Amino acid sequence: MESTLSELLATATAEIPAAADETALEELRVKFLGKKGSLTALSGGMRDVPPDRKAAVGAALNEARNGITAALETRKAALIAARDAKEAEGIDLTLPGRPPAPGALHPLTQVLDRAVGILRRMGFALAAGPEVETEWHCFDALNTPADHPARHESDTFYFNSGLLLRTHTSSVQVRAMQTQTPPLRIIAPGSAFRRDEIDATHLSAFNQLEGLYVAENVSLGQLKGTLESFFRALFGPATEVRFRPHFFPFTEPSYEVDVKLSPKGQAPRWVEILGCGMVDPAVFEAICEARGDDVYHPDKVTGFAFGMGLERLAMIQWGIPDIRHLIENDTRFLGQFA
Amino acid sequence: MKVSLNWLSDHLDLSALDTPRLSDLLTFAGVEVEEITERGVRSNRLVVGQVISFVPHPNADRLRLCQVDDGSGTPRQIVCGAKNFTEGDKVPVALPGAVLPGGFEIKESPLRGVLSQGMLCAGREIGFSDDADGLMILPVDAPVGTLIHDYLEVDTIIEVEVTPNRPDWLSHLGMARELAALAQLPLKGRLDYSAVTVPTAPAGSAVRLEDTAGCPFYTARRIHGVKVGPSPAWLVRKLESIGLRPINNIVDITNYVLMEVGQPLHAFDLAKLQGGITVRNAAEGEFFTALDGKTHALTPADLVIADEAHAAALAGVMGGESSGVTETTTDILLESAWFQPNRVRHTSRRLGLISDSSYRFERGTDPAQVAGVSELAVRLILELAGGTAEGTLLIAGEPPVLTSQVTLDLPRAQRLLGTEVSETEVTGILSRLNLQPLGALTFRIPGYRQDLQRPVDLVEEIARVHGIANIPASMQGQFVPASAADAAYDFRMDLRRKLAGQGLYEAVTIKLVSQSQLQDALGTTPQLLPALPLRNPISDDHTTMRPSLVPGLLATAGRNLRMGAASLRFFEAGTIFAATPDGKAIERDAIAVLLSGPVSPASWSDSGPRAADAADLRGLLEALAPGVSVKLKPVKSDRLLIAAQVIVNGKPVGLCGQAHPARVRAIDGRHPIHVAELDVSLLQKAVSREVKFEEMPRFPAITRDLALEVPADLTNGKVEDFFASQKEPLFSGAVLFDVYTDPTGQKLAAGKKSLAYTITYRDLTKTPTSAEADAAHTRIVTGLKKALPVSVR
Repeated sequence: MESTLSELLATATAEIPAAADETALEELRVKFLGKKGSLTALSGGMRDVPPDRKAAVGAALNEARNGITAALETRKAALIAARDAKEAEGIDLTLPGRPPAPGALHPLTQVLDRAVGILRRMGFALAAGPEVETEWHCFDALNTPADHPARHESDTFYFNSGLLLRTHTSSVQVRAMQTQTPPLRIIAPGSAFRRDEIDATHLSAFNQLEGLYVAENVSLGQLKGTLESFFRALFGPATEVRFRPHFFPFTEPSYEVDVKLSPKGQAPRWVEILGCGMVDPAVFEAICEARGDDVYHPDKVTGFAFGMGLERLAMIQWGIPDIRHLIENDTRFLGQFA
Repeated sequence: MKVSLNWLSDHLDLSALDTPRLSDLLTFAGVEVEEITERGVRSNRLVVGQVISFVPHPNADRLRLCQVDDGSGTPRQIVCGAKNFTEGDKVPVALPGAVLPGGFEIKESPLRGVLSQGMLCAGREIGFSDDADGLMILPVDAPVGTLIHDYLEVDTIIEVEVTPNRPDWLSHLGMARELAALAQLPLKGRLDYSAVTVPTAPAGSAVRLEDTAGCPFYTARRIHGVKVGPSPAWLVRKLESIGLRPINNIVDITNYVLMEVGQPLHAFDLAKLQGGITVRNAAEGEFFTALDGKTHALTPADLVIADEAHAAALAGVMGGESSGVTETTTDILLESAWFQPNRVRHTSRRLGLISDSSYRFERGTDPAQVAGVSELAVRLILELAGGTAEGTLLIAGEPPVLTSQVTLDLPRAQRLLGTEVSETEVTGILSRLNLQPLGALTFRIPGYRQDLQRPVDLVEEIARVHGIANIPASMQGQFVPASAADAAYDFRMDLRRKLAGQGLYEAVTIKLVSQSQLQDALGTTPQLLPALPLRNPISDDHTTMRPSLVPGLLATAGRNLRMGAASLRFFEAGTIFAATPDGKAIERDAIAVLLSGPVSPASWSDSGPRAADAADLRGLLEALAPGVSVKLKPVKSDRLLIAAQVIVNGKPVGLCGQAHPARVRAIDGRHPIHVAELDVSLLQKAVSREVKFEEMPRFPAITRDLALEVPADLTNGKVEDFFASQKEPLFSGAVLFDVYTDPTGQKLAAGKKSLAYTITYRDLTKTPTSAEADAAHTRIVTGLKKALPVSVR
């Protein structure tokens, strides 16, 4: 019996490593170790073994079973490893990706959202107002003389009702002061309209971002600090900013603000970005009269206001040479800012 | 306005200020410096020469061979193409080695075979005038051999933009005053014209003021026996340096005075005036022919200077053709007056007549110097044109007093500025600006500073001169709560990001559309509201406020198709407009989507991606409203081929559908175009909900598939509605998994379609048994058959 056993072990250890696949290997397991397998059959012969030999034969049987099991496991592991390796065959990692549909926010939205994000961190809340406005909100309340050229039909769009398309988002200042009490710290992005022919630098409808802060003792120094922080957040911490005295009917003192920027491949130069100033007392007086109270009385509050063109900001930011790109929505353009 | 630094030097020693420093001073005073140009070439090789003789060039018909005296004693041979000179003319000569503007260096070299030893120059070639036609002919007394830059003064011209509040800067004296204050330099020359030495007398019938609001003050001086002729070189040079064309000595003097002190004057030919003059409102329909030869019909809103017959000048705007000074004029009447700015502005704008005079009057001139300036002009006329002035200045009305005194509240000014500027500094700044301190921080304002009326106006002056650079930047500010506008902004941005993330490009289109684009309007409500037209559109392309975002998106789609785009996936967020019955405006915040063509770019793995369909659009809409129901309720629409109302969480928020094929063809589209337009604030309300945690089911559910044969026109929506109304306790949802039609009619009759659903049965407390699920399923199927014309396949 022992010789049969060693013969069996030899057969098994020869056949098992040669098993071609896992099915063949399973067949071998059944052949040797299954209920009707050859080793199982040999184990049945134990009862015919003399008692003094039982221990030795039993040990030999165990040894054979262990040997066959180990061979089976080794072969199985090898077959699995081979199968795993095969999975990587033919995969070309350098193939192009299966492309999802491309999409992007418009550059104006991106520049707006950046500016809004910065100003919100500085504690400004958003405000909104109508684009179709009254002449009072767009001009009178903002201390614009009755015969100011900006009111002229050649400069401003009007409707038959006498309403007009706001020429600046500054009208939202008026709306906000009418409905809210100080302290007021708002920004208002939105469209403005001027009766300009569309060309490389002009649109008849464009976008602005307005800001207004009204409280007790708001100062020019605060305006300066606010805008300097804003531009450094927008253009980088070393950005140089300068304030040039200017004139607007609704602020005094008034400034235009330039930022020193290097357009692509050019020497740094001062680029005009926004207009700002301290709210003119005449504006507060108009608000008081409209509200019928004195919470905005110029003896009680002061304020600063600023406004900038978003198209211009986008053009500066990305070196866009023609404003019309911003309304043509060519995907070859829009895709550049994804 | 153009400012000549040579001219400015009449009042100010500029030697301490180089041009960049000057430019900075002006910039930070609030004067926008637009351009700085050098007038004239500085070169030691550019001299006054005299043409001794010339003969035709032997080899070129159009050239002349000139012998030129350059002062060296040896005649110089120069080939010249100009024809506007004769023997004996003095001209600028560029000697070899001279470098002209543009880096052009003059060399001794043969020209068509003949040696040319220099160049005779046109005014433009040496930067002294814009005249490029022929040589610059110099006055006969120009000394031969003199360097041109010594003979013709080299100048720097600064072109500035002056803000409307500072008309006092619109003169060389005004600029000099400002620079003197800023740079703390002494002024020189005559500065003050507020006093007159000549006797004055009431004009009486010689000058009558009918409209004293329009013209409160008018002075006239008669001068007899003047000789009208060319102005002397110094005057010509001054006018030309700032781009004015010399006309004759009288007109040139009025222009010079205007540019010197900012007071416009007008000289009438006295012989052409009939009787005395009246400052009056024009008659309705009165005709007036201006100096420029154009005739205008006037209205009573126009102020005119009239003689007894007709209007002789438009007050402050332009003189009349018939009464202007000409070569034959001998007697003149010189007007110096103050006109109401609004009146001048009105007439100037209405008639499109803008003059140096109207530009200043409409911004506000100084009434105090009206008489004094007249005297200055008269003195110059007598000096340059001869004649005799009448002994008195005729005066009508009184100069209006437009400035008074202003008191500064220093602590308040300091708070507004955010800096502790001292009383000494404040007084110093304001005094340098010619505000006369009257004590206790009260200042008398000069007549030319009509912009200084209130204390805050003085604060502006302090800020300007002290310099904002010297005001410490402060980063303080009170915080305020977020607003509804903040929530709306965030919601809008969220929608935009979702759509961009779903592979759509955001478009931004002009909010004005054309009449023909209105047919593309979708809007957010089944009934499209009336559009809102402009009263004064600028072009036919932009006549009406957009009632919908879809016209802009279709135009965007069309443009991109023309540019070769295959896939059209766009959205836009923005305001749409409508008119109320009484013509007021309705503004709504909308977002619109357009899908057409391949859902993804073609690639090696899929060379022909499928085209977007209605289900893609609906999927996008569902992505915009996660966690709440999105339903489409078909509606009839004459704007779309097929349309549905978008119902989010039970609330209608907009419309969607497929554009009419005619529109697709119109833009040469190759695939159906699917569009949707939603009202953003309605959507925001519809999707806002309080999210609460819900326990996950702990026991498995059982599913049963159900294939229904239904009439082809029965919508999935009807079946879904039935499922939604289910009361069966185990029923927990049904999902459509197949839609099938058989055009051959073999497996499914024509006119029928198959809808197949997977229905889930669930008990939250235990695993349902098969029998329980089957029983529930049977009840559902029975109910379904009763409710709808369906059969189970």
